[in-house]
Amino acid sequence: MTPKNHPKPTPATSSVLLASLVLPGLAALAAFSPMLASAESAPEQTTIAIKYSTYQDSQPGLDRVSVSAPQIYVQAPIAGNWSVEASAVSDSVSGASPRWHTQVSGASRMSDERKAGDLKFTRYLSRAAISGSVAISNEHDYASRALGLDARWSTDDNNRTWTVGYGTSSDRIDTTYREGNTTAVDQHKRTHEIMGGVTQVLTPTDLVQFNLTRSAGSGYYDDPYKMQDKRPDQRNTWIALARWNHYVDAYDASLRSSYRYYTDTFGVQSHTAGVEWVQPVGRWTFTPGARYYSQSAASFYVDPVFNANGTYDLGATFMAANAQTYKSFDQRLSAFGAVTLSLKVAYAITPHTSVDVKVEDYQQKAALHLGGSGSPGLDAFNARFMQVGLTHRF
Amino acid sequence: MKPWRTLCIEFSAMASPCSVQMDGQDEHAMRQAATEAVAEVQRIEKKYSRYLKDSVIGRINAAAGGQFFAVDEETRGLLDFAQSLWTLSEGLFDCTSGVLRHAWDFKTGQLPESKKLKEMRALVGWEKVSRDADLVQLRHPGMELDFGGFGKEYAADRAAAVLLRHGFAHALVNLGGDLHALGARALPELQGQPWQIEITHPRPEQVQAGVPLAQLPLSRGGLATSGDYERYFIKDGVRYCHVLNPLTGWPVSHWQSVSVLAANTTTSGALATIAMLKGEHAIEWLNTQDVHYLAVQHDGQLLRSAAAHSLKARP
Repeated sequence: MTPKNHPKPTPATSSVLLASLVLPGLAALAAFSPMLASAESAPEQTTIAIKYSTYQDSQPGLDRVSVSAPQIYVQAPIAGNWSVEASAVSDSVSGASPRWHTQVSGASRMSDERKAGDLKFTRYLSRAAISGSVAISNEHDYASRALGLDARWSTDDNNRTWTVGYGTSSDRIDTTYREGNTTAVDQHKRTHEIMGGVTQVLTPTDLVQFNLTRSAGSGYYDDPYKMQDKRPDQRNTWIALARWNHYVDAYDASLRSSYRYYTDTFGVQSHTAGVEWVQPVGRWTFTPGARYYSQSAASFYVDPVFNANGTYDLGATFMAANAQTYKSFDQRLSAFGAVTLSLKVAYAITPHTSVDVKVEDYQQKAALHLGGSGSPGLDAFNARFMQVGLTHRF
Repeated sequence: MKPWRTLCIEFSAMASPCSVQMDGQDEHAMRQAATEAVAEVQRIEKKYSRYLKDSVIGRINAAAGGQFFAVDEETRGLLDFAQSLWTLSEGLFDCTSGVLRHAWDFKTGQLPESKKLKEMRALVGWEKVSRDADLVQLRHPGMELDFGGFGKEYAADRAAAVLLRHGFAHALVNLGGDLHALGARALPELQGQPWQIEITHPRPEQVQAGVPLAQLPLSRGGLATSGDYERYFIKDGVRYCHVLNPLTGWPVSHWQSVSVLAANTTTSGALATIAMLKGEHAIEWLNTQDVHYLAVQHDGQLLRSAAAHSLKARP
């Protein structure tokens, strides 16, 4: 058998669109869609005429033309112009094939870092939207199943929006995929979370938001890769978040403030307070900000023990840990405080182009812990971030 | 009459985040249609994934160098389309070029060994595919066929066709950035308005986070984007992307991204890929295809089809 492939275009098939109509279903899609749309009193710009005819060439002794749609006339797509100015809302995104990033599953599905569901239904009504989602993820040592439901609705004047949500997840932890690692064998964890919130326009210059989240979890909370890590098998949390954005007419500036309170049955309590002032001055915008964070240690966090010379005593520390039913050396469960100061300066070179510099200074230490000295023996941590940005809108 | 509402289903297929959105009045029917559209996408993925040994593609590839393989009507149509694309692009769009990925390792970011690349290039070429009616054969062992350049786009069109068959003509299918719009919005407050589509910026590090390249109001048609930014590595200041020229075996470099709007997504996807491969001749060629495009050149320069004549009809 000889190949019949020659890369020479013939006029009858020089259009990729016509070539695509040999695919099952695609010609029908092109032919039926306007008829159906007009039956539904579609928008005025969708008036398209379609001629559909098929053609077959069967002269004896000659190769048959393989594309059998030479006279099909298809509607052009209906679109406005490419708008290369970024605007706010869009329904979908077109880009080169994105690839999933591996997402390590966490217990909570309804917090700020909520992941995209593997399958999510959203139903939009005129002033409300309701979503249900299912997410499944499998790692070598961690498998998670989660379900979520949330709803939001606004009042007629759009001044108030209510939000409620419920999420549940079921995780399985098993480290035996690593030869000989049997710290966690077929362990489970289950979490339920409910959230309610309201956003209210108070005055033309004030917007406030309040969210309350309650979660209850039970099961395996240990870190299977840390030594001497044994945590309670129950963790319930409360999170309250309040925000207030205020526009100050006299200065043409905005004040953004927020406060978050967190408490859980591990004994960790934290407060986060933040404030930002956004001040435009001609082409400049100055945004100074400050944030304070403080958390108390978990009740079973084990402080390092120091001997008389002031050096770290590993043996004594482990003895202290052994005396406790629950224990962890995880520094994230220690008591500490942190202050972040930031300043962002932006300059608009033209209405379309602006440059900005943001400097952030982060200081974390035990002594910054609210009303006390915090956990001993931990090094302070300071960091300074600087970020330079150029924004250009085409 | 029940009020209008919008239903959106998000799911993952073909290693991408996907969604189906539609405006309608009968929620039960909307769910039914959406579920069937998702099933159609999953059917196509299962049938044509090159990663699945028992897919049609997996079996054709397994038979490379041996027997002719009999295919069904749908596969035959896709093979015909692949052949048309090869012909129309003068050999640039080649469904056998997938083997080149064995020479290019985008994970480690190493340039290919010339011996390995030469070896793989010998396995590329649609002229090495024999066809007779519903029979197909890859003539050399090691050859690989895949529908990478238009398979996901075809699935988007087919999913849209499912929605249409159920009577929904105000819908948007998005399979990892390849879109098919079936008609304008129908909610009372949005009636007649198009769907708003964002085009991903090919160099997000150069703009403020989340700022898209462009926005396109789309009521009907297929939109697809091909770019050099999803899988690539940079070595000695040169970007090597995963769009490989089958004639040279090397990555293309003239365009950062090309978005094409055509009557269906299959066409848009094929044209966007061919444009990437055509390099500096892409625009000239796109202009012969009666489509809208938005292309970003290697230096960031933006080129787009002349605006406004959205409804261009042929005699």
